Amino acid sequence: MYKIPTQNYPIIRQWIAPGSRVLDLGCGDGTLLSSLIREKNVEGIGVEISQDMIVRCIQKGVSVYQADIDKDLSEWPDRSFDYVILNATLQAITKPYNAIEEMLRVGRHAIISVSNFGYLRNRIRILTQGRVSAHTRSSAHWYDSPVIRFVSIKEFETSLEEMGVEVMDAQFFLACNRVIGSRWPLYNLLAREGIFKIRRGSSE
Amino acid sequence: MNQIVKTQILHTDAPFRLESGDVLEHLDIAYETYGELNERRDNAILIEHALSGDAHAAFYHERDRKPGWWDSMIGPGKGFDTERFFIICTNVLGGCSGTTGPASIDPATGKPYALSFPPITIRDMAETQRVLLAQLGIERLKCIAGGSMGGMQTMQLFCDYPLQADSFICIASTMKHSAQQIAFNEVGRRAVMADPRWNGGNYYGEVSPEAGLSVARMIGHITYLSEKMMQEKFGRAKKDKDAKVIFRPSFEVEHYLDYQGISFVRRFDANSYLYITNAIDNFDLMGSLRSKDRARGEGRQRGTPLDALKSKRGLVVSFTSDWLYPPSQAKEIVRLFTGLNVRVSYAEIETDHGHDAFLTDFEYQTAIIQSFLDAPS
Repeated sequence: MYKIPTQNYPIIRQWIAPGSRVLDLGCGDGTLLSSLIREKNVEGIGVEISQDMIVRCIQKGVSVYQADIDKDLSEWPDRSFDYVILNATLQAITKPYNAIEEMLRVGRHAIISVSNFGYLRNRIRILTQGRVSAHTRSSAHWYDSPVIRFVSIKEFETSLEEMGVEVMDAQFFLACNRVIGSRWPLYNLLAREGIFKIRRGSSE
Repeated sequence: MNQIVKTQILHTDAPFRLESGDVLEHLDIAYETYGELNERRDNAILIEHALSGDAHAAFYHERDRKPGWWDSMIGPGKGFDTERFFIICTNVLGGCSGTTGPASIDPATGKPYALSFPPITIRDMAETQRVLLAQLGIERLKCIAGGSMGGMQTMQLFCDYPLQADSFICIASTMKHSAQQIAFNEVGRRAVMADPRWNGGNYYGEVSPEAGLSVARMIGHITYLSEKMMQEKFGRAKKDKDAKVIFRPSFEVEHYLDYQGISFVRRFDANSYLYITNAIDNFDLMGSLRSKDRARGEGRQRGTPLDALKSKRGLVVSFTSDWLYPPSQAKEIVRLFTGLNVRVSYAEIETDHGHDAFLTDFEYQTAIIQSFLDAPS
């Protein structure tokens, strides 16, 4: 069964200034937001599409809006948040460019995590078995998987560049939950996940 | 074992001032309560009813086979749990189920008010509930909740008295009517007034304008259902295939609307219908929050700055197939309250049941309302 990854929560908490306004897209059961509210005293709002998750957020006292990230972000006014988070959700979005543009319109900063399809284990699995692993797609079958976007960290970085986005910080998770802050050689091969703090490029 | 309840009436002789400036010298408020008020008097929830509702929200009246209009949501272990909360529901001002309205006797003349009844507003309705709460000794509500027109009263009361309630739940509602919504209501009112029996509102003691009022109700019912639901429920099925008489109801959907119209006129006053729909059309939450009348407040809480709403909680619920009060209007409510720094959550329930879903789709509504009322504040 799919588990909500929490190993990058400490990084997100570190990146977010106390007392700021935070929008968490695809907030799941509200675990991240409620910890940010508790520890960073943020004003947080989550966006979720699943009814069950909405109920669980409300139970925790987390404000949540039932909405579709692909459609409903345009309803938020410009710059209404300090941070817009997209954690473990990018791979499930139909129009990622649009979502990232909207995040940077609605928020002053965006925080996006990317599961790395270029990670060594994924490559070996494809090479030796000719199959995408269940772990990679968060589901045993390709046809019911929430993961519809397979992207490597390098490709994602290229996209950010194309969009004229400034990367303020980036962290990469290696095996055994080791985190590196710099782009080691072969990081696109060795990191299973990357997390980016971005904002609109200063040229704009 | 069905729980029995009785509608009670609070009689007051203190003059009651309306937004219009008119004064009612005497006011009756019909209400029901469910569950027990705790010792700290802090477990009360006020339920607001919709256009055609009444104070009988839950449980059974003696010898009745049908329970109150929201019995599936109110009771032991239900969305509004009567084992934990003290639930209050009042009939609205201008209504015809015990609270003073156009069919009530005007003490000045000894006859029914009819159209001499002053115009009323959603805020006036909310104010009558304050009279009852004072009488019951309840200073602070855990929550105010209502659907449709009940949602309007909920929002008005929540904003007018920011210190009074901890939270609100607004279901299938809007902060102001659109042109289309006003148009539907106007057609309903015209149907009533076009009935010769309406007679300028003076029909008490005679046959009431049943034909007009039932047409108004039929129009209303079309807007309460979704196209898909109507199609699935009735399609083009005919009840009486060999009907010899032309222009008698033959399609199932005609019979359904006919039945809804007839059962409505038995329990509802035509003038009440005019006054209440007029109050709904003129409701404009944002306008009312800016108005001088809000600040006036007559020494009460009403003039309290809206800053006091900060960090209170709200829940807004809409239904995907509700085209009377569509999700887009619910989102406007969410934006307004988010702007007032209320911690709002928004749920959009997937259903084919249209506007009436707030009276029929209980499963998810119950889960979400329970978790909202349970949540740490």
